[in-house]
Amino acid sequence: MRVWDTSHLLDDIPAHKQASAEHVYDPADSQANLYRIRFHFKQLQARLILGLVLGFLLPNALLSAYFHFQFTHTLKESAKLSLAAVAESQKNTIDLYLQERVVNLYNLFHSKDFSLNPTQEQMDTLLANLKHFNDGFVDVGFFDPKGVQIAYAGPFHALLGMDYSHESWYRNLLEDHRNYLISDIYLGFRKIPHFTIAIKQVFDNQTYMMRASLDPDKFYIFLRAISQGKEVESTLINHEGIYQVVDPGRSQFPNRSDFIPPTASPAGVEEFERDDQKMLVAFTPIKETPWTLLAMQPVSVAQAGMIKARLVLTISLVVISLLLSAIIFFTIKRLVDRARRMAEKGQQLQEMLAHASKLASIGELAAGVAHEINNPLAIIMATSGVIRDMLNPEFELDHSPEAIYKELSVIDTAANRAKGITRKLQDMGKSRVPSVVECDVNALLGEVVASLKKVELKPKHIEIANNLASDLPRIFAEPEPLRQVFANILINASDAIDDKGTISITTEAKEDTILVTITDSGRGIPPENLPRIFNPFFTTKGGGRGTGLGLSIAASIVKYLGGVIRVNSIPGTGSSFTILLPINAQAQKTIKQHDK
Amino acid sequence: MDTLRVLIVDDEDDFRETIVKRLNARKIQSEGAASGVKALEVLKDKDFDVIVLDVKMPDMDGIETLRHIKKLKPETEVIMLTGHASVEFGLKGMQLGAFDYVMKPAPLNELLDTIGQAYNKKRGLIH
Repeated sequence: MRVWDTSHLLDDIPAHKQASAEHVYDPADSQANLYRIRFHFKQLQARLILGLVLGFLLPNALLSAYFHFQFTHTLKESAKLSLAAVAESQKNTIDLYLQERVVNLYNLFHSKDFSLNPTQEQMDTLLANLKHFNDGFVDVGFFDPKGVQIAYAGPFHALLGMDYSHESWYRNLLEDHRNYLISDIYLGFRKIPHFTIAIKQVFDNQTYMMRASLDPDKFYIFLRAISQGKEVESTLINHEGIYQVVDPGRSQFPNRSDFIPPTASPAGVEEFERDDQKMLVAFTPIKETPWTLLAMQPVSVAQAGMIKARLVLTISLVVISLLLSAIIFFTIKRLVDRARRMAEKGQQLQEMLAHASKLASIGELAAGVAHEINNPLAIIMATSGVIRDMLNPEFELDHSPEAIYKELSVIDTAANRAKGITRKLQDMGKSRVPSVVECDVNALLGEVVASLKKVELKPKHIEIANNLASDLPRIFAEPEPLRQVFANILINASDAIDDKGTISITTEAKEDTILVTITDSGRGIPPENLPRIFNPFFTTKGGGRGTGLGLSIAASIVKYLGGVIRVNSIPGTGSSFTILLPINAQAQKTIKQHDK
Repeated sequence: MDTLRVLIVDDEDDFRETIVKRLNARKIQSEGAASGVKALEVLKDKDFDVIVLDVKMPDMDGIETLRHIKKLKPETEVIMLTGHASVEFGLKGMQLGAFDYVMKPAPLNELLDTIGQAYNKKRGLIH
């Protein structure tokens, strides 16, 4: 007996030529399928949403962060620049103011009315003229070359005749190459903060000076006026950092400024902290005096525009992100929902198809049954006709009781045959009610082979090689569907064999699985067909002989039993179908409980 | 006048033998063949007027046998015998030159009628 087994052949065949397929098919457990589909799509949806949200929002956030950084930097710079510009223009204004004051005084010195010995009346006129130009002028004085104030007009009459030769401004002007000087604010003889503009003039090698003092209050008001509406707090300090304006607030003479400009750079913009508030300060030296103008602004004010823009940017980023997320979420949800519905519909269709294929197989069965029953019926009718002929003397037939008994036994045989068929049908009907029993797979295979030998295997010279494991454990299943599985695969095996060949049937137990391998020496399955053989209605049997349902039904039954069908096929050599059936311990328990 | 000669081809022994017996009792000279191959062997030596041919037989089915018969003895009339499910095979047989088909199980009278008609047709063709 030739035992045909693909496993030997497979050893010699390069891997790429091996064709194999495994089928997992589960129409029986549609609810589980539905859950699986739903779970799969839920996962898909979560993955898609996460991926898209990350994909959209991450670059968005990174770009925003980059622009935010750049924007902040640029705005800080522009805030500094604008503050520096304010300081520069204020400085120019102050310089102009001071120059005007100097010119006012200078003009008086050189007016044609002026004499080296001015009278009180002349001095009063001078003061009136000065006050006419600017109301900041407080008083005016004239000094002889010894530094004594020999003429004076103003509210502090005690100053007349005072010797100023030891005053710092007087000495400074005397030694200075310029012929005018503007002093820092100081208290002086009058003990009131003021600053002095002094001009010197040489007559006959003698240096005469004229001095006017200015009211720091008025100067402060002027300073306030020029920085008005710019949200900038401006002040003046001398090189020691002492305020040179009298401000009702903090920057009052003779206080020291919190900020001293660095000696390295006379002009610039810097940040510093004052009373826990970050301040931006622009500083620039005044040309006419050794003073520095400080223009200060709290950072929060300087960068108010930026902070507002940042707020708008942040809010719009959040809003856009939320909007995008929402759009992505709903779009994905809708798409995935649609795909899921289609998959569910597909699943339903597949189940309906499986159901339809079952119905079709019942129709096929009915047609086959009718044919099988008609044969014995034809015999019965013909034989009863013969008996009638025998009893008719006209035909001159042997009508001895023995002859008639013989014909009657033919009728009995035919009737029994018909009865056998109907009995089988009844058994099938019974098995529609799930009745799980202990099944001996070897015995089932034997029954199937025996019944196939009568019809399907009869016309061909097919050798059946059994290689059955003797100690095969029994499994709990419905015997009829199992018979159908074996029969369908065996019929295919015999159909694959043209005239002469071998079908080998092997059973073995491996761990908790029974393996039934049915191998034929037939034509084999082309690799391109292999993925489709379990599809309902796929058939290569021409002439209306195949319905394409056999393997589809077999697969669904095996899946229902928790098993798998594996296929190995080599075109031109043969095919091998392995049915893996679990030896289900759970089922055993259930059965035993049922029995109790 | 020639006697009507009939060949019954059917793999069901009981059916074939019984029909042969009944036809012979009615003075119709008839014989049986258990398969298509056997029928063709018999046809090589003998002529028949009408052949009753079962559609479903192992080895060589009725349609295949019909083709061979029509090649071998085209003047012989053939009646196809079909089971319930194989009416289409009966019709196909008629396309291939069979005279008629009879559904199994058929009463003998019906079969006799059809045989008679086939015989008449053959005689008409010859004369």
